[in-house]
Amino acid sequence: MSRNVLASIVVVTALILQVTVANRLPLPGSVVPDLVLLAVVALALINGSLPGLVTGFCAGLATDIVPPADHTIGRYALVYCLIGYICGSVSVEMDRAPLLPFVTVAAGALAGSVLYVLVGAMLGDPRARWPVVSHVLPLQVFYDIVASPFVVWIVLRLTSRAERPRDSAGLDPVPGFYRAR
Amino acid sequence: MNDTRRTRAVLGVLLLVSLAMITVDYRGGDDSPLGALRGFGEAIFGPIEQGATAVVRPVAGAVHTFTGAPGAHRRISRLERENQRLRQQLRTGQIDRKRADQLSRLLGTSGLGGYRIVPAEVISSGEGLEDTVSLDVGSGNGVKANMTVLSGDGLVGRVTRVGPTTSTVMLATDAASSIGGRLESSDEIGIIQGGGRRGGSALKFQLLDSTVGMEPGQRIVSFGSQGDRPYVPGVPIGTVTKIERTPGSLTRTAQVRPFVRFTSLDVVGVVVGAPKRNPRDSVLPPSPSTSPPAPPTTPPRPPQPPPAQAGASARPKSRPVSTTTPGG
Repeated sequence: MSRNVLASIVVVTALILQVTVANRLPLPGSVVPDLVLLAVVALALINGSLPGLVTGFCAGLATDIVPPADHTIGRYALVYCLIGYICGSVSVEMDRAPLLPFVTVAAGALAGSVLYVLVGAMLGDPRARWPVVSHVLPLQVFYDIVASPFVVWIVLRLTSRAERPRDSAGLDPVPGFYRAR
Repeated sequence: MNDTRRTRAVLGVLLLVSLAMITVDYRGGDDSPLGALRGFGEAIFGPIEQGATAVVRPVAGAVHTFTGAPGAHRRISRLERENQRLRQQLRTGQIDRKRADQLSRLLGTSGLGGYRIVPAEVISSGEGLEDTVSLDVGSGNGVKANMTVLSGDGLVGRVTRVGPTTSTVMLATDAASSIGGRLESSDEIGIIQGGGRRGGSALKFQLLDSTVGMEPGQRIVSFGSQGDRPYVPGVPIGTVTKIERTPGSLTRTAQVRPFVRFTSLDVVGVVVGAPKRNPRDSVLPPSPSTSPPAPPTTPPRPPQPPPAQAGASARPKSRPVSTTTPGG
């Protein structure tokens, strides 16, 4: 329960930050990192594939209907759902490879952007034309990778903080110690 | 194993749902059955965005203070001078205003060349490839779909969707946007095509008649649509910067630098009432065409008479440039 609440809080925060702050940043190339995608990848890595794909679907649907959105509903839902599933299915390996989260985030960012453009191209979206895409895509992935450590770190931090009291409840020598801290 | 099967089932179902939504929404077009979902999104996220913008604005202001510090002093002194002059004008203008109003009503030319606007602030900006923003005004403020949005510098875009308290604007730079444009001081018409701000390229102007001359420095105003929606006539759009050589093409193409700085949009106006007659190019900035205007750094503009008719509530920054001279 608390995990679901946490995931929705993270997604909504990322979405609001994305549309009100990140998208208005005057970054070089006029491209900005996709915080929602990064949040979905991070949550999928932590929670596994089933929660990951559900999180991705909900986050994508929210991105599809958040006010300045002007594209066919369901495009982001489809893409983020797939990305959530794929990133979630590698989460079992996470304990073995400490660098895996960052590699996955980079791969997820690339796959997400490419998939979104592909769906757009299939629908004949004029925004998904080659001149625009060839300029945006590399920069987008670059910014995503630059921003990913921060997003992943914040999400990991939040999750571990939320779960610490519950996990350590049985072993805690002083009951409520972690809670009090 | 059981878990994996369940996961796959859920994945399949959700993917199907997404595909179904895409299909339904795509085929439905503007009045798709999923419009209610969008309305829901507007109702829920609109107020949150407004709140978030209110929180974030001071931070953004602080950042802009640092990044814009070098130019700020110059701007302050320029604005102070302008302020002085405007105050002077206001004092003299107030005396004459009543009489002028009566006279213009008498002549039946009230609002000639003047747009009635609702001022609005940009609260959020579009995601991914699209170049859209949302404004903090909605149907409650009289905004409807397909209304022109402009700023003090020129054309910004058009309203595509209206919620109760927010509205979505497709910017002129969006790759899906095309606007009828007219070359300054000639009746030659063409189409302004957005290159996508995210595409990093300027606007493109397609002159429909390839035999007509066009040169860098010429300015373009909006041509106006039927019934003044979505675009009202006579709004400045931009300056021709470069003519593209396209041998064998039926049209001539030029690159256009817009008057509006789309990366730093803040206060804009939604045109709720169009001018009675086409103001032609009388609303272009008054600088001579020998030096192409660069809105942010130009020396102070010569004083302009106040607009014939301002918007519902007067937020001075968002008024359109002076529009009192009758055009033709």
